[in-house]
Amino acid sequence: MSEPILQLERVSRIYDTGKVLVPALQDVDLTVDRGEFLAIVGPSGSGKSTMMHILGCLDRPTSGRYVLDGTPVEELDDDALAAVRSRSIGFIFQSYNLLPRTSALENVATPLAYQGVPRRERLERARAALTLLGLGDRLDHEPTELSGGQQQRVGIARALVTEPAVLLADEPTGNLDSHAGAEVIELFRQLHATGRTIVLITHDLEVAEAADRQVHIRDGRIAPDGRIAA
Amino acid sequence: MSLRDLLRLAVSRLGTGKLRTGLTMLGIIIGVASVVALVSVGQGATEGINSRLEGLGTNLLTINPGFSTSGATRGALGSATTLTIEDASAISALPDIAGVAPELSSQQLVVAGSQNETTTVIGTTPAYPLVYAYTMWQGSFLNQASVDHSLRAAVLGNTTATNLGLTASSIGSTIYISGLPFEIVGIMQPKGGSGFVSPDDEVLIPVTTARDLFVGSDSVRTVGVSVTTQAAMNTANAEITALLDQRHGIGAGGTPDFTITSQTQLLSTVSSVSTLLTVLLAGIASISLIVGGIGIMNIMLVSVRERTREIGIRKAIGARGRDILLQFLFEALMLSVAGGIVGIVVGVLASGVIAVIAGWAFTFNPFTVVVSVVFSLIVGIVFGVWPASQAARLDPVVALRYE
Ligand SMILES: Nc1ncnc2c1ncn2[C@@H]1O[C@H](COP(=O)(O)OP(=O)(O)O)[C@@H](O)[C@H]1O
Ligand SMILES: [Mg+2]
Repeated sequence: MSEPILQLERVSRIYDTGKVLVPALQDVDLTVDRGEFLAIVGPSGSGKSTMMHILGCLDRPTSGRYVLDGTPVEELDDDALAAVRSRSIGFIFQSYNLLPRTSALENVATPLAYQGVPRRERLERARAALTLLGLGDRLDHEPTELSGGQQQRVGIARALVTEPAVLLADEPTGNLDSHAGAEVIELFRQLHATGRTIVLITHDLEVAEAADRQVHIRDGRIAPDGRIAA
Repeated sequence: MSLRDLLRLAVSRLGTGKLRTGLTMLGIIIGVASVVALVSVGQGATEGINSRLEGLGTNLLTINPGFSTSGATRGALGSATTLTIEDASAISALPDIAGVAPELSSQQLVVAGSQNETTTVIGTTPAYPLVYAYTMWQGSFLNQASVDHSLRAAVLGNTTATNLGLTASSIGSTIYISGLPFEIVGIMQPKGGSGFVSPDDEVLIPVTTARDLFVGSDSVRTVGVSVTTQAAMNTANAEITALLDQRHGIGAGGTPDFTITSQTQLLSTVSSVSTLLTVLLAGIASISLIVGGIGIMNIMLVSVRERTREIGIRKAIGARGRDILLQFLFEALMLSVAGGIVGIVVGVLASGVIAVIAGWAFTFNPFTVVVSVVFSLIVGIVFGVWPASQAARLDPVVALRYE
């Protein structure tokens, strides 16, 4: 079959606080195939967000190799990394991270602005994405005028609008009540059904059940058999 | 991001936090407004001075006794007693000379009926109105016969006539100058203000009469000379110099005992001084532009800090460092240029008000506007680029974790 879309080889990320070195990720190997729905599960502080930042090209490994969609990321400069984020990655955050004082429509259209898509077209595509997520009647609402679940759906629309190769979601249900959380997870399953590659990061085993495959992480290391050591 | 997107972002940003935006722009507004107003005021003043000087009379050469460019031991200009009525009549015989008006002046008490005032009484010749650009309102000016025969005839400036309660029907009546009776032969049209001394508050009598009755000597303080044409000014100047040198026995290389000032010379001196003042004032005012720029930089630095998370989000969804840099730079530019435009409006209004109060023509210089806009653009770039590059350099992970 085709080559994997994401591939980490012996990736480490060591934070240098000036006083101490914090090894947040150590010798991590990970492969994600095209169209896969993968959950990365681990307790707080285990290095999940660090891993997502590296997978999303927001951060670089201290050592090791990361190949995204056939491109070795360590060879790219900052502008090229920004281009990769723009075209290949869709981020979904725990705290939604919508642009403040900006309408849902403008929020969803902004990633396209950084791709140089003409305004008319990007508004059209943003409207379509929001409508798809059931927010067709909330286009002009600013984040403060939306519920948590709605804000997260705007966030998902923003991640989807560029048709990225991978969706990276970091605790997307973490700030939601169980009902809204279940809706988001159901949304992910639907997106997966249409062929999207999704990496879902969570500390919640129940949420992780939605994925095809689970990888467990603890103290910056992947559990040997993909399961938490008993 | 396209230029349009950047502009749209910057404009929408101006709308949020209007008070802060307004206060930030205030520095630029004040700076630009004062530059615009001061330049306009400077120009108004210069033009006011010029038009008043022009009102003095056309092609005017002024001769004073004494020499102006010599050392400090010399007396003040006009204090020497070497220029005489005879010098004046000799000058009037030269070619290129349209008229010569010597002035023998003294302060005298002038009485008309129950009114009296102390004013300047000037002994002069019939050329006086020509030389100093006066016209008659009533009656006629002093004639040659009144000079030849030292007649007690008087012509009044318009202000003097008003102060003394004289009217058109007063021609032919008698006024008393220092107790001596004079016949009023004419009253002049007002000429309007020229500096601190009104040119309309004076009494003119024949130069010979002034010499005999009030001054007692024929040395004059000023001789006004009207030259036939502007082109002949230099020739006339040389001819007068040669004539006076000869009459006063001053050889080649000797120090002349008189000074000839041309009106054009005076004009250019005055206007260059006032131009210098304008530039100086505008320079001082532009310092406040720099202060305004620092205000913008300050608020932009605060803004970058406050919006750290927004910067992280934008980077996560595909913004390059350059996109962030331009976004913040455009915001700074928007502040400075909007401030500049408001400042121009305020400055123009202020200079209009000042022009009305000072009574000179309102001048509006489009060049100042262009310079102001360019200057505020530069201020925006200079003081906006550093905060913007701080924003652009932020590490996206750090920015996203920022609370
Ligand atoms: N910028 C940083 N500097 C130093 N240590 C960090 C930094 N970011 C994260 N860490 C540490 O790295 C470890 C992993 O953090 P993180 O990836 O956020 O974990 P998770 O998302 O699983 O909760 C934690 O111990 C955290 O304290
Ligand atoms: Mg985390």
